[in-house]
Amino acid sequence: MRIRLGPVAAEIRSPFGVVASALALLYAEHHVLATDDFADFRVAVEPPFGVRRFVAPQALFKFDGSVRFRPLPAAQAFPLLEWGLNWCVTTHCHQYLIIHSAVLERHGRALLLPAPPGSGKSTLCAALVARGWRLLSDELALIELDGKRVVPMPRPISLKNRSIDTIARFWPDAAIGDIVPDTLKGSVAHVRPPGDSVHRALEYPAPGWVVLPRYAHGVATELAPLPKCEAFMRLVDSAFNYSVHGRAGFEALAALVDASDCRAFTYGGALDEAVGVFDRFAAS
Amino acid sequence: MNRDPFWRALAPDALASRSWDDEFVVYNDATGNTHHLSVLGRAVMTMLLSHPSGIALTALVLGIADDAGTAADDELVEAVERTLAHLAELRLAAPVLA
Repeated sequence: MRIRLGPVAAEIRSPFGVVASALALLYAEHHVLATDDFADFRVAVEPPFGVRRFVAPQALFKFDGSVRFRPLPAAQAFPLLEWGLNWCVTTHCHQYLIIHSAVLERHGRALLLPAPPGSGKSTLCAALVARGWRLLSDELALIELDGKRVVPMPRPISLKNRSIDTIARFWPDAAIGDIVPDTLKGSVAHVRPPGDSVHRALEYPAPGWVVLPRYAHGVATELAPLPKCEAFMRLVDSAFNYSVHGRAGFEALAALVDASDCRAFTYGGALDEAVGVFDRFAAS
Repeated sequence: MNRDPFWRALAPDALASRSWDDEFVVYNDATGNTHHLSVLGRAVMTMLLSHPSGIALTALVLGIADDAGTAADDELVEAVERTLAHLAELRLAAPVLA
């Protein structure tokens, strides 16, 4: 199938039933393209040749017909596809400055949540989406090089380990795919992005807020001021292709930070309280 | 030994910078690195950039003290010298050789 993912189109091929069923559930709102439409990325998740098709089956991610990563167990074929698509974007879409960050939108302004794994970024992102924030991405912030607009690429939200149950309870209507255990990141499951987020992928919001989230069990919910220089350096550290752009990357990030209110956010798992903080912050 | 060495910004045309809340981030196109400088680092870099052919340490300290409304005492001299050494490590500044 060929599918539109925000500013790019991907051709996805796979014989795995788990991939087909996950695509049907998690990309149900996405625009499926005609088979002769242009595809920026041509990817496949396929079994290797030989005995591995039958003994401890594996899955390979291919880009333009070439294997790109070490094989994973076939049960992990869909997470492998998602990780592979992220790789396609971060290694090819250099028309943008790409930051490892969740991105959401409220009142026409983008909220960036740049954070390393384990910071609760995707959990917080899913909780905000559940309460009406528009999802641009749970993983990749695509910044135009003038720093003035953030480009949506709404795709399934990736949840890990305990956050899967947490979001299932917090967002009972969420369409959550199968839980895939024992991946390199632990158990993972994906949440379907809302149709509104997918259908508005051509609406590019201006930057509004940069918030560094940090989850720690039991800590109080707090949104504190963050010096812009610190926010800037965190964004540099979180960028995939900052060095590719040189001075243009610096100027893009500087414009982004210029236009953003910067904060540090700590929370201990009280998601309703966390969402309330962000709702009030966005309204202020 | 020169007790009042001259310092200059290295490759000033290669630098891009932004200042927020008295702090400073600077990108150096010559190295590809980005640095976050303190209030004093910002003051020293600003002074060096406004003197492209170089400035003597004494004049640098006096200028910074004047801008900050503080005394140009030994403590400030030592802090500026440490900052200059740090900027040299980052390849943002260098002493001007006689």
